[in-house]
Amino acid sequence: MDTLTWTGTAGTILLPVLQVAALALALALVAKLLFALAGLDGPRLPGPDGATTARSPGDMASIAIRYCFFAALAAVVFMLAAGAVMPSPVEAGILGAMAVRFWPVWAALVATFVLSIRFRRKLGLYGKLFDSTVGMIGFAIVLFWVFTAFFADMIITHDPFAQLSGLKNKPPGIATADSPFGWYLLGGDHLARDVFSRMVMGAREVLKIAPAATLFAFMVGITLGLPAGYFGGRLDTFISFLANLVLAFPVILLFYLLVTPEIRATGIPIVLAALLFIFPIIFLTVLWNSRFYTNPPRRNLYVGITLLIGLWAYSGLAFNLDPLGVWSMEPNMLNVFVSVVFVNSPGVFRIVRGLVMDIKARDYVAAGQTRGEGAWYIMLWEILPNARGPLIVDFCLRIGYTTILLGTLGFFGLGVSPDSPDWGSTIDDGRKLLNLFPHPALAPALALMSLVLGLNLLADGLREESLKD
Amino acid sequence: MTASASDTASNAWDPSKPILEIEHLSISFFTRLREIPAVMDFSCTVMPGEAMGLVGESGCGKSTVALAVMRELGKTGKIVAGSMKFKGRDLALMDDEELRHIRGSEIAMIYQEPMASLNPAMKVGAQLAEVPMLHSGMSKDEAWKLARQIVADVRLPDPDRIINAYPHQLSGGQQQRIVIAMALMAKPALLILDEPTTALDVTVEAGIVDLVKELGKKYGTSMLFISHNLGLIMDVCDRICVMYSGEAVESGNVTEVFDKMRHPYTQALFRSIPLPGADKNARPLISIPGNFPLPHERPKGCNFGPRCDYFEKGRCDETDVPMSHIPGDDRHDSRCLRWQEIDWNAPPAKREVKQKAEVGKVVLKMDDLRKYYAVSGGAFGGGTKKVVKANETLSFEAREGETLAIVGESGCGKSTFAKVLMGLETATSGSIMLFDENVQSTPIQKRNTDTVSQVQMVFQNPFDTLNPSMTVGRQIIRALEIFQYGKSDAERQARMLELLDLVKLPRAFAERMPRQLSGGQKQRVGIARAFAGGAKVVVADEPVSALDVSVQAAVTDLLMDIQRENRTTLLFISHDLSIVRYLSDRVMVMYLGHVVEMGTTDQVFAPPYHPYTEALLSAVPIADTKVIRKRIVLEGDIPSAMNPPPGCPFQTRCRWKSQVTPAGLCDREVPPVQMLEGGHQIKCHLSAEVLATMEPVIKIAAE
Repeated sequence: MDTLTWTGTAGTILLPVLQVAALALALALVAKLLFALAGLDGPRLPGPDGATTARSPGDMASIAIRYCFFAALAAVVFMLAAGAVMPSPVEAGILGAMAVRFWPVWAALVATFVLSIRFRRKLGLYGKLFDSTVGMIGFAIVLFWVFTAFFADMIITHDPFAQLSGLKNKPPGIATADSPFGWYLLGGDHLARDVFSRMVMGAREVLKIAPAATLFAFMVGITLGLPAGYFGGRLDTFISFLANLVLAFPVILLFYLLVTPEIRATGIPIVLAALLFIFPIIFLTVLWNSRFYTNPPRRNLYVGITLLIGLWAYSGLAFNLDPLGVWSMEPNMLNVFVSVVFVNSPGVFRIVRGLVMDIKARDYVAAGQTRGEGAWYIMLWEILPNARGPLIVDFCLRIGYTTILLGTLGFFGLGVSPDSPDWGSTIDDGRKLLNLFPHPALAPALALMSLVLGLNLLADGLREESLKD
Repeated sequence: MTASASDTASNAWDPSKPILEIEHLSISFFTRLREIPAVMDFSCTVMPGEAMGLVGESGCGKSTVALAVMRELGKTGKIVAGSMKFKGRDLALMDDEELRHIRGSEIAMIYQEPMASLNPAMKVGAQLAEVPMLHSGMSKDEAWKLARQIVADVRLPDPDRIINAYPHQLSGGQQQRIVIAMALMAKPALLILDEPTTALDVTVEAGIVDLVKELGKKYGTSMLFISHNLGLIMDVCDRICVMYSGEAVESGNVTEVFDKMRHPYTQALFRSIPLPGADKNARPLISIPGNFPLPHERPKGCNFGPRCDYFEKGRCDETDVPMSHIPGDDRHDSRCLRWQEIDWNAPPAKREVKQKAEVGKVVLKMDDLRKYYAVSGGAFGGGTKKVVKANETLSFEAREGETLAIVGESGCGKSTFAKVLMGLETATSGSIMLFDENVQSTPIQKRNTDTVSQVQMVFQNPFDTLNPSMTVGRQIIRALEIFQYGKSDAERQARMLELLDLVKLPRAFAERMPRQLSGGQKQRVGIARAFAGGAKVVVADEPVSALDVSVQAAVTDLLMDIQRENRTTLLFISHDLSIVRYLSDRVMVMYLGHVVEMGTTDQVFAPPYHPYTEALLSAVPIADTKVIRKRIVLEGDIPSAMNPPPGCPFQTRCRWKSQVTPAGLCDREVPPVQMLEGGHQIKCHLSAEVLATMEPVIKIAAE
């Protein structure tokens, strides 16, 4: 079988189109800059007779920039789309073939967007997201990786751990003799594994930890930030001081410490886990109790369920003592998880504290106080729901930071098994031969970058929309 | 307009022509969903030296008109029809360069929030001097000299200190004077004032209003004065334009519009505000039924049609109503088809006389209550501790079914008083007897559910009083749960629906979120929530001051009705003396933590007054041409509670101080409470003889 080209048959026409469009785009940009410097910019210039007006050269350049950009974009889209209709990967090219492999993701994306846009007026802040182009693009990128992680088993072309002989460090599109799919779409890495499949599987690894760790960090930050902001005084001073201590400590050093065998032997990570994992249980228990203490049967039901499931999961996750063996976490994973939660929670704490201090001056808080509500009811049911806008935005941004943090950890080989396909470790593996064979490191690096970019754009869009009306 | 016409207009503008001429102006805002018409077919003319008042409820488009004159409609706002001529030149056709020249130098604008109009990082003098330096290229020294002179013109004390101060070092009233000074720096031909005194206290407002009037005369400036307060418009303006839902409905000379209104909306508006003579039992206010239409849900034909008493089906809802001239009057127009057929002098048809509620036994008794706060002096908790005396020797009692009004401006301690009563704070000394129980040192957590549910509060700001992320029904049910009402959810649900009926809201509102409700509706929900546990004492903290005039009457009436039914004691905190006179049985006037005067409504509103009450009464604008008011404008601002004057708290601003013997007594000693006849208390050093010489502030001229 032949080695694949990047663009396949469609590329013979579309590639020159793309090149021409890109070249014209560059020229137009330079021209626009020069016209602007020469003072020939502006919407209209007066014509010779004074009355009629002509387009200024700068304006013409702007139009050229716009059309060239659309032409280039169209060429890329057609390349991907052409791949989908071609009978075999040879004609489709690498891009086309990848586009085809991702079909469950496309289908899910289209379904989500069609449904969301259809019902966006009924969906609150989530619906308003679809009014912002930036937010939509960000959301699409994030969803792409979420669905990739979800459908990873259907997308991968090879087992991400399998090594095929003779494919070590081979370039993208290389044909494989003895595999059902037939090609390594993005080439092989230094152990002759499929870079494409590892990248796809890496998404699953990353998205398994990052959102969960961020959620835990939020639970800790909220549970501590609410009373600090609401009561103020000594309590606030004390917790804020602790938060500052954690924030002031070098993060990477902290990670190294937490995963060093000597420190692990002392049991500090377990203690930390025991400390941090208790917060979600406290949070939910207080949440139900403050709301339903007027109705003891229902309160007992909710608190009981929370405590039952919470403590069960807690015993498994923090101490690996789950009697039924359902909840457990590898010691390595636990370390990573605990460290990420630990360094993120002071940031969340500070945001929550600031928001609470603002909202507690509102009349509805005073109304709660004057009818004798408990402090926790006011914090959790009157204040917290109204701080949700900024917190959701921060949540998106923070998943992005956490993803990078996980990449950094993987890059240093901290906390994950050596052959894990997560993006950080893969980049580290590819780093050693980066000069000769850049593709094994480049694929996960681009994936990581696009996910974080998507999260940031999503946060931007959400912020923009939550500020409107 | 041809080129030659525009030349002549800009070079030689005839001062006998109007300075601002707006004709058939229509403005729309374009949102993602739809075009929202904000102003439709608006015409008005402002002659040189004339003050034009724009009055209307929030959302009627009055501020949009002002912004359009400044051409500051933002990205989404567009002028879709009509013209605005300033000194004969069309503002809508000007380019940015011309506008930059006109803004600030020929047209100046004063906004509601003074602090938002001043740059906090620049000295006041530098901000003022910037204007002539920018517009007429004046040298820096000259500009500063002019700034100093204008600061003196706006009657600020010690102008040399003021021009070297930063905005945050000045009080709200002083800041607003600086904003006015800035607007006057370039000697503009037209001054636009958008609710310039709404953020200020009444006594400070009176000073600003006087200043604006005087400066208008001195500089010959024309004014476009925007306000929701009819009384203020009557004080300041020569002409008035009443707006409703994006249209001017009536315009004309102030006295003519006030005395001979020819539009049903204007009439309804005047019937819904508490003028002297209104009485909650014999002559209750008449609220305008229904709600203000949303801009995209305006009815066909007359916008006011659905709420109008004179509505005629098939006529008022057919075509757009044009402005029609009222012959015989001075440029008096009305947008009503039936103005000639309506009998404008007929008394309102559906005024119902209500029973006066019986006043029962004492339910609340405060004796010598004090509340002090300790404020640390230094940044690190060191330094000398200062004591803020928020409430000083507060003694009064309130009876069942009675309305006790607590009147005072910001910083007078009325909010602290409410907090102590509710149990959010505990008293420093003194006692509070609530239904035979001492509660002065019981914080709310330690009070039993009965006590808590019997003392409830209605808050001031309708946009803040409800939790924005909980449905209306849920919030009322929560109060019921806390007050341990009912045995099951179904029972509480039923009671919640009854409470919605009680405050005259449709039951469907239970499922709504607060943002889907108007200000008045939110305030009703707040009232329903307060009465959820059968409250016996309700503290209403300015419950209607943030609402529109037409809604105020309805909410006030609702409170009164519930009070009559439940025999509730209402503690009505307000700074608005018109509404206090209308609804309260007894009045307590507070100043800097002291009760300066207390008595029945008739006693407090008639001489002898405490000097502060006298000034307060004279400061409140009254929208009635038949009322003659003595002008007493207080000097300066309210002293800070952190640093109160020695002796009598009011001595720094008192105009009667010189009549106290021996001289200097006011500076040294806090006055004793004088008991006058009928339990009327006044905290003043003035002798009974001097008090007896006081004249009434408000006189109603014979008809």
